[in-house]
Amino acid sequence: MDTARYAELFLMESRDNIVAVNEALLRLERDPRDREAIDAVFRAVHTVKGMAGVMGYAAVADLAHDMEALLAKARSNGRGLRTSDPALLIDATDALELAIEASVATGGASVDVTAMCARLRGTSGGEETPGDQPALDSVDLPPGEGMAIVVRLVRDAPLPGARAALVIQRARALGEVTAVSPDEEHLHDGRFAGTFAMRIRTESGSEEITAALRTAGYVEEVRVQREAHAADPGAAARDRADVAWQTGTLKAPLQRFVRIDLRRLDSLMNLMGELVIARGRLEQAVVPQSDPVLTEAAGAVGRLIVDMQAGILSSRMVPVWQVFDRFPRVVRDAARSLGKEIDFVVEGRQIELDRGLLEQIGDPLVHLLRNAVDHGIETPDQRERAGKSRAGRLTLTAARERAAVVIRVTDDGKGIDRQRMLDRALVEGFFEPGKDGLSDEELLRIIARPGFTTAESVTELSGRGVGVDAVVSRVRAMGGSVDLRSTPGEGTSLTLRLPVTLAIIQALLARVEDETYALPLTHVKETLRLTPEALRQVRGSDVLVLRDEVLPLLSLRRIVDLPVRDAEGSQVVVLEVADRRAGLVVDQLRGQQEIVVKTIDGARGAASCFSGATILGDGIPALILEATSLF
Amino acid sequence: MSHTVLICDDAIFMRTMLGDILQQAGFDVVGEAETGSQAVEKYRELRPDLVTMDIVMPDMGGIDAVREITKLDPLAKVLMCSAMGQQALVVEAIQAGAKDFVVKPFQPSRVLEAVQRVLG
Repeated sequence: MDTARYAELFLMESRDNIVAVNEALLRLERDPRDREAIDAVFRAVHTVKGMAGVMGYAAVADLAHDMEALLAKARSNGRGLRTSDPALLIDATDALELAIEASVATGGASVDVTAMCARLRGTSGGEETPGDQPALDSVDLPPGEGMAIVVRLVRDAPLPGARAALVIQRARALGEVTAVSPDEEHLHDGRFAGTFAMRIRTESGSEEITAALRTAGYVEEVRVQREAHAADPGAAARDRADVAWQTGTLKAPLQRFVRIDLRRLDSLMNLMGELVIARGRLEQAVVPQSDPVLTEAAGAVGRLIVDMQAGILSSRMVPVWQVFDRFPRVVRDAARSLGKEIDFVVEGRQIELDRGLLEQIGDPLVHLLRNAVDHGIETPDQRERAGKSRAGRLTLTAARERAAVVIRVTDDGKGIDRQRMLDRALVEGFFEPGKDGLSDEELLRIIARPGFTTAESVTELSGRGVGVDAVVSRVRAMGGSVDLRSTPGEGTSLTLRLPVTLAIIQALLARVEDETYALPLTHVKETLRLTPEALRQVRGSDVLVLRDEVLPLLSLRRIVDLPVRDAEGSQVVVLEVADRRAGLVVDQLRGQQEIVVKTIDGARGAASCFSGATILGDGIPALILEATSLF
Repeated sequence: MSHTVLICDDAIFMRTMLGDILQQAGFDVVGEAETGSQAVEKYRELRPDLVTMDIVMPDMGGIDAVREITKLDPLAKVLMCSAMGQQALVVEAIQAGAKDFVVKPFQPSRVLEAVQRVLG
């Protein structure tokens, strides 16, 4: 894997997680039984471990694993951490941070975490090793001649023992070091909590001493005390949070990316939505004034809002590879466990999608890919017998199509066994008895039914089955649509059509009676006035004849339970979902407008043809008609 | 005038990397050594302002080399290059006269910080 590309992302996310770990560990220092904090550390460490595994950073993964083991034990025994654990974990976190930075800097080479892992294992094994004891208590100088000096090292100082040795070397250049605490042997092994004390007999003043000791590097603080009294270990502990903050923030290198809580972007997006609505109202209010200055100002506000909206939207856009790039591994694992050979191809990695959408689409795609491997693509022997290459081909494509992003999973497998599906559907009473043959649309409707797909022995279903309902409902909830194509012996292709972004869409407004409905423009092909020539009757149903094509004709009045009027002379909106088209009769068209989608809770079951609601420029609410549900 | 540096490491990769880091920061890499004894020899010959010294090298190790160099020149400025987990060896090197150390894998910023500290 070309890891260099992801190293920056890995680093960025890992830093976030380290920040979270440090924050929680500081809470644990106050209360080692704080369950929530233990969980928070566990989660963050676990995340780092997972990412490091993918990146191939063994040292990071190993260290995170050992930290996780210690935490897992504290979680399971119900007693929380022991009092010495938070300090140990803080050390481990420092080592982890260092290992992360080092791994990214070197591509994972030559990072040694064995010492830290051994300490963690010593502890999670239940034995208190001497090294676990914070040595702060022993920062206790015997009385004697000379100045007492307390030195605190920067918390992420690598090899603190050696650093302490350097500090003492610098001190010896100033005069005679008469005492060191903890003793040098302990210091050199790193068995101290970053703070140590010594006594020097010197002519130098405290400023000179401080400056000299600082040349040893990684010295956070030097305190020179004339009187010979014990150093205050409590002060060091109290300063710890402060140090963590300083070392954590001041040392953070400049980044090209800033991570923003998605909720902040969401709330910006919501405000943007309100602004768009307000602009609509402003524009309507300005027209009757016919004041050129006011009109110009309103126009300027409108244009700025458009730019701002584009800016906010683009800040939410991320390339699909951020999710897609974990799929080759998924496919490989699935193929291997099923004894199949698969060439997996990803196309359109750089296509961008709203981050919220991308996050939601990840799991459904894993589902579809696994299904394709499991049920779509045959075993190498089966393929050979069918005259195909032994290795199946599985393609995941992302592409931009007008205001939509299309994500397609295609396999060259055996296709869905329609007869079997039909038999099954007939048994369940899904169709009238005697039905013969299934269209792709009908096939999708069958396999996307929850009850159907969770039925026993799904693996017997040739073709897709498991969880397609979940995928379809997820995609529809996002305002997208799903389309299925399956050819026996040649393969199956599932297409997900997603809006590029959530929340703000272009819509056509249609009226029946005094109600307004919004039709997302993604599905509107054209509009026309219904003429007598275009209106026909086929088998008792109204159809629309449009340039040699016969389209089913639906009535918005019927959909919303209003008495149906004579369709002639009404407006027709030609809807297009995938390759299917239909005409929708409405009373009147009110034009095109940008609308802000608000999801409506609970209404899905009651009126599944509405995907949401919006507030129009005049403050009147309107329901958003979900075109995909009409077909 | 830029400071002169002698780089001692048995791995050509590390010498190249350190050399790049230091040269980009404006230092003048005047020599390289692959063994401890070479390091001592070159120090005597070149008298560089700074020596970077790997700990584990064939022939004569870095710690002995520091000891020899410090004997030659008590003011020699030697920066040890160590891996994590070599704390005891680094302490020994410091006691032998090394003025600072950096931990592999190298981050340029940390290397340069250490160099600045050593050169004062």
